[in-house]
Order: sequence, then structure tokens, then C-alpha cells
Amino acid sequence: MRREAAPYIRHPVRRALGRGLWRLLGLAALAAAAAALAPVTLAAAAAAAAGWWRGWPPRRLYATAAWCLPMTVVWLAAVAAWPARAAGSAAGTAARAAGIAWAGAGVLAPGAGPGPVWLRVAAAPYRAWLASWQLAAHGHLAAAAVAAAPPAVPLGILAGGLAWQYRLFRMRTGAGGLTPAAPATFDSRLWRRQVRTAKALLAAPGALPLISRNGLVVTGAAIRSVRHRGGPGRAAAIPYPRLRSHQVVIGSTGTGKTTLLLRLWAGFMAAGLRRYAAGAANRPLLVVLDCKGGASSRKVADRTRRVLRDAGARSTAIWPDEASLSLWTLPPGQLVTTLLDLIEHGTGGAAYYTDVMEAIVSLAVGAPGGPPTCSADFLARLDPSLLAASYAASGDGAAVTTIRSGKRGFEDVELRFRALWRRLGAGLDGGGSFGDADAWYCVLEGTAEGAVAEAQARALTDLLAHYAVGGQREILLAVDEFSAVSRRLPIWRLYERARALGLAVQVSAQSWEGLADTDDERQRIAATAEGGIWLLRTPRPGPVSDLAGTRAYVDTTRRFAGQGAWAGDGLSRTRLVPVLDADIVRQLDVGQAAYVYRGGVTYVQVKRLTGRQAALAPAAADGDAPTMPLPAVAVPAQWPPPLPPPPDASEVLDEAFGARHE
Amino acid sequence: MTLAVRDADALVFAADMYGIQLDQLAALTGGDRSARAAAKRWRDLGYAEAGRLSEGPTWLWVTRAGLAACGRDYQARKPATTQLAHIRAVAATRIALEATGAYRRASAFWRCERRIRARHGRGIRQHLPDGEVHWPDSAPVAWAGECWAVEAEVTPKTVARTTAIMREILARTGDYGCPGAEAAVLGRPPRHARALYLCSPAALSIVLKAREALGPLAARIEVRDLPPGAKL
Repeated sequence: MRREAAPYIRHPVRRALGRGLWRLLGLAALAAAAAALAPVTLAAAAAAAAGWWRGWPPRRLYATAAWCLPMTVVWLAAVAAWPARAAGSAAGTAARAAGIAWAGAGVLAPGAGPGPVWLRVAAAPYRAWLASWQLAAHGHLAAAAVAAAPPAVPLGILAGGLAWQYRLFRMRTGAGGLTPAAPATFDSRLWRRQVRTAKALLAAPGALPLISRNGLVVTGAAIRSVRHRGGPGRAAAIPYPRLRSHQVVIGSTGTGKTTLLLRLWAGFMAAGLRRYAAGAANRPLLVVLDCKGGASSRKVADRTRRVLRDAGARSTAIWPDEASLSLWTLPPGQLVTTLLDLIEHGTGGAAYYTDVMEAIVSLAVGAPGGPPTCSADFLARLDPSLLAASYAASGDGAAVTTIRSGKRGFEDVELRFRALWRRLGAGLDGGGSFGDADAWYCVLEGTAEGAVAEAQARALTDLLAHYAVGGQREILLAVDEFSAVSRRLPIWRLYERARALGLAVQVSAQSWEGLADTDDERQRIAATAEGGIWLLRTPRPGPVSDLAGTRAYVDTTRRFAGQGAWAGDGLSRTRLVPVLDADIVRQLDVGQAAYVYRGGVTYVQVKRLTGRQAALAPAAADGDAPTMPLPAVAVPAQWPPPLPPPPDASEVLDEAFGARHE
Repeated sequence: MTLAVRDADALVFAADMYGIQLDQLAALTGGDRSARAAAKRWRDLGYAEAGRLSEGPTWLWVTRAGLAACGRDYQARKPATTQLAHIRAVAATRIALEATGAYRRASAFWRCERRIRARHGRGIRQHLPDGEVHWPDSAPVAWAGECWAVEAEVTPKTVARTTAIMREILARTGDYGCPGAEAAVLGRPPRHARALYLCSPAALSIVLKAREALGPLAARIEVRDLPPGAKL
């Protein structure tokens, strides 16, 4: 039998005491180092506190440290070039005895000292540190701070950034804090501080112009970003080409959707006009289909007009209240299709009547003498005897036969179109064109008369698509409250057409379900939003969150010791979490939005735009609407146009400034 | 303690021009002694502060109380060191122009950059001239009714930038602070009948090249030397 010694097991109390002692020693060493490097410690503490208070990402602190480096470089250059010959003076001797670098008669230079250049540069931080301590010991605290500042400030900010990054890392991985709930609490508090920082940026006058110096469209202040550049305390800006791509905006009522849309529209107009002025693009055209209608839409229209005017738009036409368009400018083939789309017709047995209507409308539009020029002209052609006489005069016997065989259907078709035009009003029967204004705000009564709004939306998009074929303008079509017309305006089809026409479409709805009737269409719309998706507070952000994708996330568990505390050990594992945090989206405040683009998200506090009341053009005396089409002014070949030379002012200029330079 | 009329005019001048040096103040008040006396009165009243911001005579700038006394709602601040040369050049230009007989006879009006900037919206990037001279319609001069843009060029910019600024000034149709849509509108008369460039020797060649690049518009650009005493 062999006896083996049992493994030595330390007493648990002694083990805990030993650990505690080591920890105390470590903390004491750290405190001693922090006290010895007090200037660096103070700068680090201030930097970490600033990062915590403002919710900045650590890289912002690193950038700040980098911006301090020129100061350090200049200081090192001065130290290297500082004359050290006067060190023999009595004052210098005394100063050296006190450990203070003394370079001349009465000139104190912390960090400077004798030696070759490399030694001066290398020893400068140590000498500055020594000098600052000596100055502090003599009670000159301000001088001590100045003496240590050149090396200590960048180093301290860097250290503060590292400390803040470490804190963020611990919390994001779930390893920091006293309890497992601490990271979640930390994150919610961090969010509040980041929101406060963003709001402070919004309140700073001039901090957020509509267009940034490098031509980006500024939407507001960034609160937080994931996989996007920028972050808290920075402007949230998107390049102009993204506004020229399809976008989707989803947000419940009262969440700031209109504020965001106005900002985007004004940004599109201002940036587009700037590019147009530089000769880099065509003049921009904004067409808004407000499918809600009513007094609130008129208010938004007025606000849009003022905001766009400040952004540089010469004219904003409000349809159908103040301006009208002509449906009859469409080419005959397109006109037939559009007219048929305006009338709701069924399938199955009703398809027969659809075919009859298609034949009658084709005959009316294609009658000899050209297509109809107005609704009255079109309705007049729905008289079979008149239409047959017209075709008979041109010798088209087949058409006459068709008219006679379908004679009974004419009356029904005429009745339906007469009712349609009465409900549509004169908005599509005028003489205007989209080219007449910089912006069109079209009010569709989607709430009061859904069927009419659907027909109007269909006609307006067809007109716009036809106008876009000319390629004269850079067009953004914004459809607000899309759910009101989504039944009969398959926007995803327009998406595909629009891409070929150079027309960008921006769809906004109150919810994911409002984007389209079927989930397949919703997915198509969202998936083709190449310019990004704007998400305001909405109860169901899940589908957009799925589209945004996932990112790797370290999840740490903690062992519960069973005595009222959690042990310091646990397991960490990597898992995938959505890039877009659905809980944050559900809790967004008014004026906050999440911008999802290319697998990243930026949470934005949107900057509100206000147009000045004085910017409104007065109504013309003859009853014309205040938003009339652009005046027909011939564009001169040279802008500004040359004028006759001004009168000679040499009398005053020669007397004040001497002769003219030719 | 009250201010004499001449002192009051000089105080408004100093407020409008961001600041003024004692020798230029002497040109306004009629002599060194009167300038020193005016400066002392302003300081005693709390209307101005003084300091040696650069080489040469002392600088005076108007405080918040002084701006309120002048009826100006500018933000009170000490002139920035980097702007001193330009401020002096513009002030010298204004003094030289206002001293001419035609200017006095016409009762012309100098609208300073600070006043234009105060009306100009924040966040809008437009070039603002160093001053505008408004000639009343009833003035007994051939150019009555005109508005001139004045630019004091102390340090040279690039030719392209200078050309762009000239073009922007000549194309402008609306007042500063107007809606963006009215800033430059086809078919409306230009705001500035001409632009007056006062150049330092260093900037002169650049300004002349920029004017050449304008083509027919060059007829509306007057280029002259900065007046004596404009250099800091």
C-alpha cells in the first residue's frame, strides 16, 4: 500500500487575504505613478470625463490628442533651439540647484537645458516634468501647469481615451460593472448623454448648415453610429447622390417625419442648385405627392414653399390649389394607358368591359385631327356618331365598323369618364408642366377620397415619368403617406422605371405595413432603397432591422456565487446581434431618426428647418396664385450678363486712391 | 459726461469697422490731441477698450455698452489678431473715400461689412464684401443711384478664387440676408453696379489677372491702390 500526500489546499481565508494584499499593492503602485505623473493624470482624467460626459467615441479623444501634437512639436523645436550658454549666471546656478532649467538672464524655460540637440529633445519631457514639480513646490501652480502642458496634454488625452475605450469595451462585452445589469444601465445613460450632446450641437448657432463645406447635405447631429463614420457631437451628413437614389422613410404620426422630409427636400434643392450653378448637373426638380390631403397638408405645403425658397428654389407650385398640369400632353399611346388606369375596373367577367373600354378610349384618343387637348374635347369624342363621322371622313372604314359594333358601350364609358373628371377637378386639365417650377407640391385627398387620390397619383406619376424622359432635370419624387395610394400605385414598378429615367423616388409611410399592400412589395421597396432607409419611432422596426443585417457581439456570462454577489469569472462568447437596435427605434424621441445604409446605422437628432414668413412671394394683384410657374426669362449665354460700362467715376476714385490700374 | 457730435460719429465708425487705431481716429476727429481725448472719454464711459494689439498706434474697440449707445446690435468682441491688417486697410479705404468732395456732396453712405454680416443668416455660405457704398438717386454725380461693392485686398488669393468672388458680386441681385432664391435672379438688375478693388502691391497682379478672366464684365471692376497709411 502506498501513501501519497494529498495536494496542498490553501486555506480560503488566507487565499482571499493574499489576493486582497496583492490588489492593494497594485492599487498603491498605480496611485503612486498617477501622483508622480500628476499633470498627465489630470489631463487623462479630464479627457475621460469629457468622453463620458459628452458620450464621445474614444477616437474623438485620440483625434484631439493628435491635434495637440503641433504644440508639442513646436515646444520641442524651441527647446532644441533654446540658448543654454547663460547657464553660468548666478540666477542660473541657483535655478539649476533647484532643478529648474535656466537658459538666460531672467528667462525661465521649462524643458530646456544643456546638451546636444538629441539630448535636449529626449530629456525635454523629463526636464519639463521636473520643472513643473519645482514650480508647484514653490506655489506657482499656474506656471507649473504651463510648464508641463506641452508633453502632458497630448499624453494625458491619449491616456484618457484609452481609459474610456477600456471602460466602453468592458461594458459592451458585459464584463464591467458590479452586477450583470450594469452594462444595460450604462448603455441607457450613455444614450441620454449622447442625445444631450447632439441637442447641444443643434442649439449652437451656425453649427449645422444645410450644406456642409464639402457639399454634403446635413440632416442634423449624430447621436450614435454603428458601422458608420462620425458619432456623437458630429454633424450627420449624407452625400447628394444618396438623395438621387431611392429612399424610404418610416415613422408614426408626430415623430418628426415632416421635419426630416423638409430637411431632405431642402438639402436636395440646395445641393442640386449648387451643382447646377457649377455646370455639373441639370436643374433639380422636386415633386412631392402628399397623399393625406386636408388642411394639414396645406400647412405643410406652405412650410415647404418657404423652406425651399430659402434653399434657393425660385418657384414652388402647389397642385391643384394654385397650379395645374395637363394630362393631355402625354403621347397618345401613353395617354390611353393612363386614362384606362384612372378608371377602376375589375377582373374575371368584368374584363370584357375593360376590353370594350380600352377599344373605345383608343378610338377617341387616336381620332383623326390628333389627340384630345382637354377633358371636354375627350368627352365630346365619346359620342359614337360624331366619332364615326370623324373616322369616315378620313376613310378609316375598319374604325367606323368597330364604333358601330360597340355603340352600346359608349354611353357607359362616357358616364364613367364624366364622373371621373368631375371628381378629379381641373388639376390635370390645365396648361402647366413640371418644367415650370423648381418644386411641385401636389396635395392628394387620400384621407377624404381615397379612390380619387389613387387616380391622381397614378396620373401624376405617369406625367412625371413622361417628363423625365426628356432628361432636362434631376428629379426627386417624394410620396408622403404612401399607404393612401399604395393600392393602385405599384411604386416598386416605378422604382425600376425610375432608375432608367434618372428619377429618384422617396417613399414615406407611417409604418412598415403602410409601404405596400403585400409583404413581397414591401420587401421590394425596402430592398431597392439604395439611398438608405430613415426610421423614426415606429412600433415594428423588425423588418428593417432584418434588412440592416447583423454584427458580431461579445456576450459575457457571470457565475453567481450564491452569497448575494456575482463572482469575477464567467464565459464570453461571440454572437450575432442586429446592427439596428429595435428597442432604441421603439423609444426614439420626437425629431430622432435612425438612418440605415449599407449595413450600418446612424441615429440622428434632426435639425429643424424654418422658412421665413417674409420669404413668401406676395400674391399677384390680378388674382394669380403666389406660386406661379417660373417666369419665362431667356437664359443668357453668359451669367451674369454683360451690361453697358458704368459711368466714369474717376473724379472721386482718383481723388481718393490715385490712378486706375488697367 | 457726454460725447461731442464728432466723437459720436467716430464711435459709430469704430463700432462699424470692428476697431480702429489711434492715428485713423485722429483723421476722423481732426488731430492727435482730440483723438486721445476722445479715446479717454470713451474708456471713461465704458464705451471702448484700448490695447496694443499690433505694432503701431493703440487699437480701440467698442464694448457692449458702446455698441448699445450706437444703436448697433453687433456682438462685442476684440478684433482678432489675424484680421488687424485687413481691418486697418478697410478703415483707411473708407476714410479716404469719405474725405473726397464728391462723396460729401452726394451724401453717400458706407454700409460696412459688420452691418452686412449682422443681417446675413448664419450657416449660409456667401461671400460678403468689405463694404458697400450707396450713392443716393438725388446725388449730383453721374453714377447717382448706384451701389458699389468695396473689396480691400491685402493678401493675395488665387486667381480662380478672386474671379469667382468678382463674378458672385457682379451677379448678385438681392440684398444680403435675402432668401437664397433672390440672391441671383435672371432678369433683375444687379445689386452692385461696380466692384471697387483696393489692392496692396502683393495682391495687385492677382486681382488684375482675375479681372482679365472676367471678359466683358471687367468693365465693372475698378482696381486701385490701397490709400497711403492702409498698411499695418
